[in-house]
Amino acid sequence: MYIIEMLNITKEFPGIIANDDITLQLKKGEIHALLGENGAGKSTLMSVLFGLYTPEKGEILKNGEKIKITGPNDATRYGIGMVHQHFKLVHNFTVLENILLGVETTKFGLLSMVEARARVVELSKKYGLSVDPDALISNITVGMQQRVEILKMLYRENEILIFDEPTAVLTPQEIDELMKIMKDLIAEGKSILFITHKLDEIKRVADRCTVLRKGKLVGTVDVKTTDAEKMSEMMVGRKVNLVLDKPEVKLGGVALEVTNLTVKDKITGKNVVNNVSFKVYEREIVCIAGIDGNGQSELVYALTGLSPSTNGVIVMNGVNISDLSIRKRCLAGMGHIPEDRHKHGLVLDYNLAYNLILQSYFSPQFQKYDFLRFNEIYKNSDLLIDRYDIRSGQGGRTPARSMSGGNQQKTILARELSREPKLLVAVQPTRGLDVGAIEYIHSQLIIERAYGGVLLVSLELDEVMNVSDRILVMYEGEIVADVDPKKVTYTELGLYMSGAKRDKLKEESA
Amino acid sequence: MDMFYFIVQQSMVFMIPLMIVALGGMFSERSGIVNIALEGKMVMGAFVGVLFLNIFQNPENVSDQGILLLALLVAMLTGMLMALLHAFASINLKANQIISGIAINMFAPAFAIYTAVFYLDGQFVPFINQFRIASVPILGNIPVLGPMLFQRTYITTYLGFLILVISAIVLYKTKFGLRLRACGEYPQAADSVGVSVAKIRYAGVLISGALAGMGGLIWIVPISSRFGGSVAGYGFLALAVLIFGAWKPMRILFASFFFGILQTIANSFTAIPFLLNLGIPSAFYNMAPYIATLLLLAFTSKNTQAPKAVGQPYDKGMR
Amino acid sequence: MKRDSILSLISTLIVIIAGLLIGLIVLLVSDSNQAFPAFWTMISFGTRNMRNVGDVLLGATPIILTGLSVTFAFKTGLFNIGAAGQFAFGGFTAIYIGVQFLFLPPPLRIICSILGAALAGAVWGAIPGLLKAYRNVHEVITSIMTNYIGMYLLSYTIQNTIFDMGRTTTTRMPDDSNLPTLGLDYIFREPLGSGYRSSAVNLGIFIAILIAILVYVILDKTKFGYELKACGFNKDAAKYAGINQNKNIVFSMMICGAIAGIGGALNYMNGTGLSMTALPLLAMEGFTGISVAFLGLTNPIGVIFSGIFVSYLFLGGARMQPFGFSLELVNIVVAVIIYFCAFVLVVKTNIGKIFPKGKEGE
Repeated sequence: MYIIEMLNITKEFPGIIANDDITLQLKKGEIHALLGENGAGKSTLMSVLFGLYTPEKGEILKNGEKIKITGPNDATRYGIGMVHQHFKLVHNFTVLENILLGVETTKFGLLSMVEARARVVELSKKYGLSVDPDALISNITVGMQQRVEILKMLYRENEILIFDEPTAVLTPQEIDELMKIMKDLIAEGKSILFITHKLDEIKRVADRCTVLRKGKLVGTVDVKTTDAEKMSEMMVGRKVNLVLDKPEVKLGGVALEVTNLTVKDKITGKNVVNNVSFKVYEREIVCIAGIDGNGQSELVYALTGLSPSTNGVIVMNGVNISDLSIRKRCLAGMGHIPEDRHKHGLVLDYNLAYNLILQSYFSPQFQKYDFLRFNEIYKNSDLLIDRYDIRSGQGGRTPARSMSGGNQQKTILARELSREPKLLVAVQPTRGLDVGAIEYIHSQLIIERAYGGVLLVSLELDEVMNVSDRILVMYEGEIVADVDPKKVTYTELGLYMSGAKRDKLKEESA
Repeated sequence: MDMFYFIVQQSMVFMIPLMIVALGGMFSERSGIVNIALEGKMVMGAFVGVLFLNIFQNPENVSDQGILLLALLVAMLTGMLMALLHAFASINLKANQIISGIAINMFAPAFAIYTAVFYLDGQFVPFINQFRIASVPILGNIPVLGPMLFQRTYITTYLGFLILVISAIVLYKTKFGLRLRACGEYPQAADSVGVSVAKIRYAGVLISGALAGMGGLIWIVPISSRFGGSVAGYGFLALAVLIFGAWKPMRILFASFFFGILQTIANSFTAIPFLLNLGIPSAFYNMAPYIATLLLLAFTSKNTQAPKAVGQPYDKGMR
Repeated sequence: MKRDSILSLISTLIVIIAGLLIGLIVLLVSDSNQAFPAFWTMISFGTRNMRNVGDVLLGATPIILTGLSVTFAFKTGLFNIGAAGQFAFGGFTAIYIGVQFLFLPPPLRIICSILGAALAGAVWGAIPGLLKAYRNVHEVITSIMTNYIGMYLLSYTIQNTIFDMGRTTTTRMPDDSNLPTLGLDYIFREPLGSGYRSSAVNLGIFIAILIAILVYVILDKTKFGYELKACGFNKDAAKYAGINQNKNIVFSMMICGAIAGIGGALNYMNGTGLSMTALPLLAMEGFTGISVAFLGLTNPIGVIFSGIFVSYLFLGGARMQPFGFSLELVNIVVAVIIYFCAFVLVVKTNIGKIFPKGKEGE
């Protein structure tokens, strides 16, 4: 018996068929995985289910009966709820207010939350979702925010629960907990649709798995009888080379030496980066692992000069850059692939060629007597487009805004790597990209290693383990472990990341 | 002591419209729509309200408070009509909210003067100003408080405080207020739980129009007997009060009181012997409220947080 | 690229026609008998003879400059609503030099007037710039405040320096402090009796056009423009690229102020005997500049044309008085046009749908 069926859904956008005749059937009481790369059509399919898009073809059935969904309210009425990848929580509201938003209870026209509060407390006890109903969202951890999102669905008595990439922001331990919660929910009679691209998680909890690729349905398989490699091949369309080809190299001199670096938060006065010291050698990829929000961003801001450090010394290639401006650090040989490519990495309203000179527009190559040299600018973009395989409609004149995420990231990569930096700081360089682009970027990072050191900040443990030569784990602003990826396990990393364990060596030196 | 009462009474005259208009702006901005058009909405409200008085005021019974309340209602509706234009441009068409606000600010005085010149052969619309209440029965006799709040006063003063209380309750204690604040902070959250961001923002902008339109009339009534198509930058000052008041009702109350006092000093320092004896030219008293605003904003703005989504058109497709 | 500019032009024309139509409707509602002759006067007066054409250009000069000031700011991510104050400071400084610096030979005095105006405007523009860059206060709100402060300050200053008590304005400048007409008075004139009556159009319009071209070159062709626009489009990315955005904000506001200030100078140095009022009033040219900027689609070259268009409407609009209509109708029309300009993009995309890409030649 299927609780929800999406039959033969086709949704077109100008120039692209986002969903091409896709059928997805969710059984009552199962965990059903929806697997696909970025751009495979998973979000579009879910938007159709929530009535945000009207499909050209196809129908939606609940318990065998045809239903019409025209918006989130309809979806709620039919018992469909979703934990979005980017949480839909108002940061300055309390947990309770967020849960009630949209289904508020009132007395004499005024909000009345007493009964609602009791129900939330009861639900959180029943499902082991402990969270303080009166805490502000901005003050609780990401893991807790996710619990709020789950409570939102439970409070609305949803029976079909959709989890969109729920593990991306969690530690291995938190992931274990989430998997358990998901199983508990099934035991209570809920049905779960689990959107992900992580095969091991599917293997652990899912009963069946539907795979999409480039807007088309590849098939629905039984998870127990299908091995991970097969599913991976279905998702990508070819055999994926999971092991990176990474030649052994001999370390060079010190590319970066950070001593006692401290960054104080302006508002709270807390040390978000606390007395951090480490080195990165030439021809080495050092990866900073950790859960989002443990000081990695602030560390990078301090290293690259985006915000000042409170204390400590940063030496790059023998030069003390602690007090240098962003421009001077860049000229001294630092490359930076920023965390947020739309915020820092690109000027979306500039074209591709202009974005490729963002760090060098002032050099004699691109300007003479303060006038831009357009011939040189476009010659440069032609060269880099070719060398880094950037796909764009109108070459150097393509507006950056109109390019795909992968090609935008390649643009940034091309700009930073073509300067052959002595130290490359790369923050989540593969976030939101498909497997092809990820492989490409990883291989480029390994090539870059030949010129200098690479400091890679990543939240994806697979990436941390595969790409790095050495792993530093950050927890609450401190580096709590310095380990060799060949000798460490995922579980161990998880313990470091959640603060349950500290590297002995670190404690002694501290 | 008489001087003190005089300053308080005068301050009320300036403070109340500022507060009402700033509260209006609050509803709009906390729903996520920048409202630089407060000035224009005040002008239109004042103009149509005064025109209403001009036509319907009965010379036999000029101190009738009922006609004033009716005129206020008319002013509110006028403000809402202007707000509708702003809402349509900012919400449906996702246009630049500052530009459409500027268009309204430009339109309102032009329309007021054009119409006045055409129908009344002059820029100014006169009305009979007999709405002052010498002393509220009983309450006016209370020592200290009586002269401060219940003598030489206007019904609009109490209306203003009523609006303040209602605004605070609506914003913090009702379903609508919760949704409004959600739309101004993170519309995606509201949208994902089935709250229509467009409807809530329309409501916010319309409320701001109603209060601004009303505020325009409330501003002109105590200080003149004719309206000439200008509210002397009070709409902009209200915007400053809103920012200085950190988009919160109670802080808006204090901010507007502060400006009320400054404005009173600027307008009537000649009646205050101490200030007159200082010999400072009037121009500087006139500048004082604006300079104070500038300084206050310069020193407080780093700590105040505007609604996060203010000024950004909400696009469902964006994630 | 070409297709884009054609679409811009078409949508601007649609917006203008819509604004004029609404103006006509307002006239019709007011007085249907006089509406058509009045409307015709408004839209034709500017081209009735060469003198009127000259007057259109004369009136366009200051608003092209305030329009450029707003445009420049907008391109760099700022909203300069303070052009009114910058304009007034520039105007006052130019007049002050024109009246008081008689020891300088006229050409030098004129140059000093213009440079002084630019400097005064830049100083007044710097205040919102500094507050934005270093105190994080939105420039719109601070510009509004500086407009009013400037208004009272200038009124006070005029009354205590170059004051003409009888007219409550600044003292009249000697003729040789005004901009030369360069013989334009022989072109832009109309026969009157046995002689001619000339427009006062002068060197100013050329200065305005020159500055428009300069603004275009700075924004689109130089390293400085690259930095400024990067700040305007995405200040975080600009920071990442090592651009000092605070410095750029202040520079940008100072340049805006200087442009508006020159606008003030050219406005009063035109030999018509126009003086600056000593009453506390905001300079409308500053706000008209906002309209001109957006009607010109914040393109420096577009601003030249939109400035001329708006000036044309004002000149004709003033002639509607004999029909019983006030000049304010023009402001209504312009306000409607600005309102429509706010969503000109929507108009553009819809036109794009009606005329799909294939149809247009290469």
